Amino acid sequence: MQGVANKPPPDVRPRSGIDLRFGSNAMRLSGRQWAVAGLVFLAFFVFAPSLWERAEKLDPPPDYRLPYDLSSDYWLFSRCARLAEARGEVPVLGDSVVWGQYVKRDATLSHYLGERAGAPQFANLGLDGGHPAALAGLLRYYGGDIAGGRVILHCNLLWTASKKHDLSSEKEFRFNHPTLVPQFLPCIPCYTETGSKRLSIAIERHMTFFSWANHLRVAYFGQQDLPTWTMEHPTADPLAAMRAGLPAADDPLRHEPISWTARGVEKQDFAWVDLETSLQWRFFREAVETLRARGNKVFVLVGPFNEHMLNDESLKVYAARKRTVAAWLEANQVPHLVPPPLPSELYADASHPLAEGYRLLARQLWESADFARFAAR
Amino acid sequence: MLFHTWTFAIFFATVYPVYRLTKGTRLELPWLLAASYVFYGWWNPLYLLLIAYGTIMDYWIVVRMEKSRRKKWWIALSVVSNLGLLGFFKYAGFVAANLNWLLAHLGVGYAVPKPDILLPVGISFFTFQSMSYIIDCYRGHVEREHSFLRYAVYVSLFTQLVAGPIERASNLLRQLREEHRITREDVSDGLSLFVVGLFKKVALADYLALYVDKVYGAPGNFGAPALALATFAFAWQIYFDFSGYTDMARGIARMMGLRLMLNFNNPYLADSLGDFWQRWHISLSTWFKDYVYIPMGGNRGGTLLTYRNMVLTMVISGLWHGAAWTFLIWGVLHAAGRVLTRELERSRFYRERVPRPVKQLGVFAFVTFAWIFFRAQSLGDAWLIVSRICAGGIADPAFPLLALGLALAVWAYQFLYESKARTMLEWAPVRVSLAVVLVVYVATFPAGAAQKFIYFQF
Repeated sequence: MQGVANKPPPDVRPRSGIDLRFGSNAMRLSGRQWAVAGLVFLAFFVFAPSLWERAEKLDPPPDYRLPYDLSSDYWLFSRCARLAEARGEVPVLGDSVVWGQYVKRDATLSHYLGERAGAPQFANLGLDGGHPAALAGLLRYYGGDIAGGRVILHCNLLWTASKKHDLSSEKEFRFNHPTLVPQFLPCIPCYTETGSKRLSIAIERHMTFFSWANHLRVAYFGQQDLPTWTMEHPTADPLAAMRAGLPAADDPLRHEPISWTARGVEKQDFAWVDLETSLQWRFFREAVETLRARGNKVFVLVGPFNEHMLNDESLKVYAARKRTVAAWLEANQVPHLVPPPLPSELYADASHPLAEGYRLLARQLWESADFARFAAR
Repeated sequence: MLFHTWTFAIFFATVYPVYRLTKGTRLELPWLLAASYVFYGWWNPLYLLLIAYGTIMDYWIVVRMEKSRRKKWWIALSVVSNLGLLGFFKYAGFVAANLNWLLAHLGVGYAVPKPDILLPVGISFFTFQSMSYIIDCYRGHVEREHSFLRYAVYVSLFTQLVAGPIERASNLLRQLREEHRITREDVSDGLSLFVVGLFKKVALADYLALYVDKVYGAPGNFGAPALALATFAFAWQIYFDFSGYTDMARGIARMMGLRLMLNFNNPYLADSLGDFWQRWHISLSTWFKDYVYIPMGGNRGGTLLTYRNMVLTMVISGLWHGAAWTFLIWGVLHAAGRVLTRELERSRFYRERVPRPVKQLGVFAFVTFAWIFFRAQSLGDAWLIVSRICAGGIADPAFPLLALGLALAVWAYQFLYESKARTMLEWAPVRVSLAVVLVVYVATFPAGAAQKFIYFQF
């Protein structure tokens, strides 16, 4: 290990004619200077997200939900979760059924649950496109702030309706929220991202700084990185864009709020995935276990699901599926409700209710003894 | 495995501590070789066969050459082996395509099968590095390396394996032989180089690439301003990309106590084309000078022969970059530029009367013009771009002001660095602030997914 120091010294041309000079710029820092720079950067890395949180105004109106365009802003989700916790609201977690795909924010499940309670005590933390694999990741990496409290978790069995829904298809395709799903194990066959990219995702989602940097991209630069955004806005001032504040809470309706029959949708025969081998069912159970391990009191809502849209064969499978899920929840002492199907005209598609459907669903929940006990805690 | 990815960060975080522990012991070289092979095999494990073949072959040739009286035969065998390998992987497709074009025009109803081969990353670099060792041994400039392991590390060292600098045995092999400890200065210097390189690649090169790729991907859709700006942007993109890689490579090596040669020295401040080639891709320029230009006679045979040697060297250099007519034209352009300006550059008027910034702008303009042929996807595209730029016109190029500002800021920084104001840049608070700004920018505003380096394709 011992020896002489390197030769030749840094800034001379040796006799060989090979130029070994340090470099062609003046940014040469000593060890001490790097220590100072490192400390400043570390401070930025650690404190920038929380300082930004103080500076960035987020005063969500009643029934606030993540704006549709910010669906991949998990830092903001985390912030909303913290806010719900601070306000003593019960988070309602799930996919676009909870988020309210066909309704405005004042006609969602959380709204009607609050309306029946006489106070807005439920927070809509639904994530558009939030399939169980994504939901499990969301809770694991960004849901730590709701630990210990009550949580309503929505279980949408539509995610087991085909290999594609279940992510167990061998054929590669782009699905929602890939950065939330397990990157290595368990293996998701249709997910074929490079190893290097998976590693980046796996590392960066453990660091708040990177989710905050992603927040800047999603919230201020139209879900693009800054360079790509400037390509579309060549003369715009990025700082001005950042000063503009978060997008408004009010979303326009994503789809026309009409029933599935009016839409002309035919009855379906789904190629259901066996529940025993279903990835999404496995991830849903993981989500429940993550919450329970953090001391959350979980209430699971199985459905709603548009059973009117299923043909006889599919309906039989779905009925059996509901029973299996209910049995698992029962066995694990998770309070739950498997509500009867809503009237056909209250569904917009296979699983999304219309406003009246949410109202009815809220009533069904409040009429359930398990839910009343859960809500009264 | 790209330097600016977490994969490399984990790789280096594993390799470095063990390297430091094993440094100076019998385990140092095996560890470095294993790490380098893992690094290279990450792209495609089959590439390892190629580098292993080249290493074994060249090592064996030098051993035999030392004992032989017919040294020329051995050096010829080495050149055939190395250039054969390079030719097969890099030029076989090009040769077949052109041959088929010729056969078709001659009305011959036969087509040479076009090999469907993927060019192994970095083959041009490690082949040239290996060749330089053999030629230097042949010339008696360096001693034969007795340790096969050390020679294998010299050829495959992961820091500069895939895109240089193309090292010489007199520098790198010597350092691998010497016992030395890694100083704190090595680590801080290495970090300084790495951070600058990272910024050049992630914040600048990948940013400019967005515009360049858009315009050069469909040049027919753009007018003169956009094409001119895209060419300007490419000039900076390729500089930031390649010199960024080199900075990172040198930085990593420096942290390991190894000093790789300077490969870029603010080339866009060159005030003559000769000066440009002493500042751009220095390791390749000096390689061609030492192993092609000088053996051909250099400037020893009179003006005409000198020009012939310059032209041939530049054309070969163009072809080294890739098997395409665009690279050949790029080389020819630089050759013509050097021939035409050599006498001018020597004239008293040019040296004393023309202000340096004017010379610098002139060189930059010429080099940027030549980049059109380097970057264009085909000769047709290149002509289209040149003709549209020459025709002029007014149209909004939609070039991001931020990108323009960043490129100009770097240019201004380089001007300052080569001026008397350099001391201002070397003031510690300026350096520390700059380092923090670079790291913060890279961490907060990277351009999308990690992009490959341009020179990996060569």
